[in-house]
Amino acid sequence: MNLEKVIFAFFIILALSLNFSFFIGELSEASHHHVNELFAALIVSLICTVMKFGDRTHFGSTVLASSLVVDLLLIAAAITWGVSTVNHGSITPTAMATVTSLAGGALIANLLSVVLLIIETGQIRK
Amino acid sequence: MSDIFFLVLRRLRTPLILLISVYAVATLGMTLIPGVDPNGEPWRMGFFHAFYFVSFMGTTIGFGELPYPFTDLQRAWVLVCIYTSVVAWLYGIGTVLRLTQDETFISAVAQRAFKLSIKRIDRPFHIICGYGETGQLIVRGLSELGIQAIIIDLHSERLHSLKLEELSVPAIVLGGDITDPDNLLAAGINHPCCRGVIAVTQDDHTNLQIAVASKLVNPDMPVICRSEIQDEADNMASFGTDSIINPYLVFGRRLSLLTTNPELHRIHNWFINQHTAEHINERITHEGLPGGDWIICGYGRFGKAVEHYSDDGHISVTIVDIDPEASGAPKGSIVGRGTEADTLIEAGIKSASVIVAASDDDANNLSILITAKQLNNDIVTIGRVSQETNNILFMHAKCDYIMRRSQVVANEVLTIISRPLVTKFLQYSYSLSPSATNDLITEICRLTNDNDPVTWRLVIDSKGAPAILQFIDNQQALTVEQVSSNSKLPGTEGIPLLLLRGGMSHLLPDPDMPLKLGDELLFCGRRNQTLLAQKLRDNIELVDSLYNQNRHHIPLLRWLKRRKKLKSVD
Repeated sequence: MNLEKVIFAFFIILALSLNFSFFIGELSEASHHHVNELFAALIVSLICTVMKFGDRTHFGSTVLASSLVVDLLLIAAAITWGVSTVNHGSITPTAMATVTSLAGGALIANLLSVVLLIIETGQIRK
Repeated sequence: MSDIFFLVLRRLRTPLILLISVYAVATLGMTLIPGVDPNGEPWRMGFFHAFYFVSFMGTTIGFGELPYPFTDLQRAWVLVCIYTSVVAWLYGIGTVLRLTQDETFISAVAQRAFKLSIKRIDRPFHIICGYGETGQLIVRGLSELGIQAIIIDLHSERLHSLKLEELSVPAIVLGGDITDPDNLLAAGINHPCCRGVIAVTQDDHTNLQIAVASKLVNPDMPVICRSEIQDEADNMASFGTDSIINPYLVFGRRLSLLTTNPELHRIHNWFINQHTAEHINERITHEGLPGGDWIICGYGRFGKAVEHYSDDGHISVTIVDIDPEASGAPKGSIVGRGTEADTLIEAGIKSASVIVAASDDDANNLSILITAKQLNNDIVTIGRVSQETNNILFMHAKCDYIMRRSQVVANEVLTIISRPLVTKFLQYSYSLSPSATNDLITEICRLTNDNDPVTWRLVIDSKGAPAILQFIDNQQALTVEQVSSNSKLPGTEGIPLLLLRGGMSHLLPDPDMPLKLGDELLFCGRRNQTLLAQKLRDNIELVDSLYNQNRHHIPLLRWLKRRKKLKSVD
């Protein structure tokens, strides 16, 4: 029962879950996607990326790469949201759709990251 | 590069996570806590504004409470955020600074820089292991010769003094354990430009390890080792170390020359000590050392070597040693250090001709020499210096012949590296009789006007002497005599000392010996004077006019005459 490994896995799975929770719902319906969820997903994803630093194995570099992709897409989503609600306007359905689809892309990368983690865990057991 | 990058990233994990969390919590708080606009209406910050505010708060810029003045609750939250974010930043910066001070980091950077600079080398270089006094002398000598040196020493502090040296060819250094084969590989032993490994650390066993490692990794790379213990030297020789230099044996042998053939010692001195001069009394250079009674104080390695080499009919040796039994001194040795007058008188200082201060402590040696001079003013003093810095004290004590351990090794190494034919010549010169040596010295002195001579090597191949080779290829003979001197060109005379042909060395070759492809000839000549051989080697016209009896001046006629001669030979 390695505390460090528990925390590592916890954050990675949390990142995936938060991302999915933001993404789910109708694509352009603003009431389905709460901004706090996007915020939480972004922060946890950043923390995950930092935790994956310094791993020199091939696996480690691929996992780090996918994490960086997630960060990139979620930041893009946040910027889109911010730009479209400039001067405290409310977000338009088109903008909302963009944000959600970006989050969807991030979800795929997150999924990949988790799958790689599972494979790595499986290999260690052997 | 990636090593260092990953090292840095690993260290920065905790600070970065802390920073991100602090910013996240602060931003979230700012969005949640409601503010009041000037009209009294409640109002909430969006994420964008919250992030903006937290950014300039966290970097301590502090533009102000935007867009409206804050409520007390907001201000309370901002207070908490200020302190936590500043702490998070300080922690982060502190970690980065600590990282640059970290030894692992610094050595990782140094290793990488070292490897890069090795890769970029494009000129011949030597790897020198051990930067003690001997190493210092060798590096200086190599730099003067224009040869690149790569230095590895265990103590990085010693390498710092290298920066003050101002070498004309700057050396590349690495502080590390040379017995670690990785370091040997990193130093470029397999690099195409590497020309040799020189192991001159203080410890014989380390030198042995270096020799073993080098011979295993790259069997063709010449290895020169310094060794003071016979066991280790034999060990080194057993797997083919190219040169093993024992300073005591080397010096002892040259010392014996001073008694049997002082002229030869002078020649050795000229040719070997071209980099740093030995300190030797002029009188002794010309007259040599007197026979009779010798006293050797200290029966260590040096003392033993002197005794071994002075073993001929004219010299009777008395040993003075602290513990004659333990050091294996012969019967009749005096117990004592030799620093007190009583011990020396017991050893017969009044009637002795030479005293050798051979202990490994410089202060004791100085004391012995001074006491000896006080008791017997005419005695010849020979002193051993263990630490280079004490050399000046020995000179002030008017020691007649100073043996500097490091200098002996360094000069030998430099001669082996830069003038291998000279080494061969000196090896074989021990077989010269005193009268032959006398003749040689007279010739050299006549040539150089009693100044120090220099040596030069002629190699008969397409790169070293194309003109001579062409001449020989046309089935015309050229003898040793003809390349040494010619009456038509006075002042270019050189004395041929050694001819190396197919692994066989011919000492003072026969003047009528014809030159062949692959020959190497060692000349001795005047300083700053071009030798005839130097002029001939790439100047076919000169060879022609001197030895082909080609008297024409017009190039076309000369060429025609050459063709005619060629045809007549065929």
